[in-house]
Amino acid sequence: MTISWKRVNAILQKDFKDFSRNSAVSIIIFFPIILAAIYGRMGIDSLQTQFMNINMAFAMVGTYVQCCLIAEEKEKNTLRGLMLSPASTLEILGGKSLLTFVLTIIVVFFSAYLSEYRPANVAVVAIAILLSTLFYIGMGTLLGLVAKSVMESSVIVLPVIGIFTMGSFVTALTEKYPILKVAEFLPNIQLIELAEEVEQGAGFVQVLPNLGIIGIWIVAVFALTVVVYRKRMVD
Amino acid sequence: MSLKFIQAEKQVYDSIVFPAFDLTIAGGEVTAICSNVNIREQLIEIILGRNFLSNGEIQYADEKKLAFFFLHEGLHERLTVQEFLKFYHQLYQSKQSIEEITRLVQLDSKKNKKIKDLTYSEKKRAQLAYILIQNAETYIMEEPDQNLDVESKRIFIAVFNELRKLNKTVLVLTSHLETAVTVADKIVRLDDKGLQIVQTEEEHPEELHNVNVIESETEEKIVQPIRFEKIPTKVNEKIVLFDPPEIDYIESTEGQTFLHIKGESFPCTFTLNELEERLYPFGFFRCHRSYIVNLQKVREVITWTRNSYSLVLDDALKSSVPLSKTKMADLKGMLGLK
Repeated sequence: MTISWKRVNAILQKDFKDFSRNSAVSIIIFFPIILAAIYGRMGIDSLQTQFMNINMAFAMVGTYVQCCLIAEEKEKNTLRGLMLSPASTLEILGGKSLLTFVLTIIVVFFSAYLSEYRPANVAVVAIAILLSTLFYIGMGTLLGLVAKSVMESSVIVLPVIGIFTMGSFVTALTEKYPILKVAEFLPNIQLIELAEEVEQGAGFVQVLPNLGIIGIWIVAVFALTVVVYRKRMVD
Repeated sequence: MSLKFIQAEKQVYDSIVFPAFDLTIAGGEVTAICSNVNIREQLIEIILGRNFLSNGEIQYADEKKLAFFFLHEGLHERLTVQEFLKFYHQLYQSKQSIEEITRLVQLDSKKNKKIKDLTYSEKKRAQLAYILIQNAETYIMEEPDQNLDVESKRIFIAVFNELRKLNKTVLVLTSHLETAVTVADKIVRLDDKGLQIVQTEEEHPEELHNVNVIESETEEKIVQPIRFEKIPTKVNEKIVLFDPPEIDYIESTEGQTFLHIKGESFPCTFTLNELEERLYPFGFFRCHRSYIVNLQKVREVITWTRNSYSLVLDDALKSSVPLSKTKMADLKGMLGLK
């Protein structure tokens, strides 16, 4: 199957116009940025808070926006028209993912910038952020396939925002409850660990295990998405 | 170019949805299938490939060359008409000109309006523009003129004529015979008994002659001092009698005549010809092969094209009744217009 760039581009443009006029959803992208600016001005510059912000940006933009874009096509009954058109599912999801990807990167960049986060090694952190974005978009696609309406998607995305934003503080409890050590394998906590290692002067090779774990999460979420897609397409 | 149903049949468990039928829809022709909602939905599902025929097959040139006009279609409401059409133009990599199509559906004055701000009929026209952009070979239209305003209906009929000229195949799926008569060249009725072709050709001149003879006879009859003029209908074994002026119009489907009175229909045992004869003195008029209308109730005569007309009645439902071309001349004569 060949992917036509023209069609992906058409879907990207359409979704951008649609998204920018849907204030109920588009307003969410300012939330992490404003929070980051407040934290930055307050002088709270621990790595934990900075990354809580970045993870929030991932969950709110990467996952929530992607989920809403897909769910809305279903809710408004426009998905049938798209599916009957020459555009393949891959192109439809590709166009949407591309929009979410760009938005996520922009929001994460501003969140990091405004919260005064200056990584010691920009290249390594950038790679980690790109990989994490892929994971959160995969998550958003998965939830978008499950949700039937925008309303439903705002509800099912809540646990995702909770786990991946506030979940980072779980590490403080591992001393008391060793079972929570499992949580250290979550991609958001891996990202924080990676950032801490970078601050201590680690290079690309030292953070490879962290990137590997995030990579496994990406593969897992995409595999699950494909399974759910196949199941959903039956009906 | 054409759409062919070959011995197509559908059963769900033990009940027959529709028995085997053959139907060929050639290019440059608008064909309407009149059926109930269930059959209509089944047919669409089958053509979409989401459901299967129990037997037989449907042949068409290319799946990519089918365009669907659904009754319930979602449009991207936050886009303007122009953006919406441009999006699908890019998606289909179509060579049609957007301006031309917008003009054809007469949305050029609204092209910078968001779709959610359009009226229902305008949304339907935007939907029509969207399927024209696809430049398909075969168009499948589900209830194209349901709930449309008169202006949009006229635009739809103009688009149908355009499609005929371009030698496209058009299949209209509807449950209203009136829609079918207005838009289609060939009308078939599909139900669980099978497929019947609905005659739409104009009546032969001799028949017209007969009518004239009857006219003079009835005129004589009217002189009789006492005459029983109620029209009997049957409702659940009861016989109900109606005064002719109560009747809005009379329709004949599958050899059974129905009186339409205040939005309800009652089967009648007389044939349309007998009724025409009996009701002529009361100002009833045979406006179509399968319709008699009470002229007292006619409010408007709508001209769709030079050859297709409808009568809009003054009843609560504003029902409309087709008027055939030759009858239009008679009607004009009766109204004293020439």
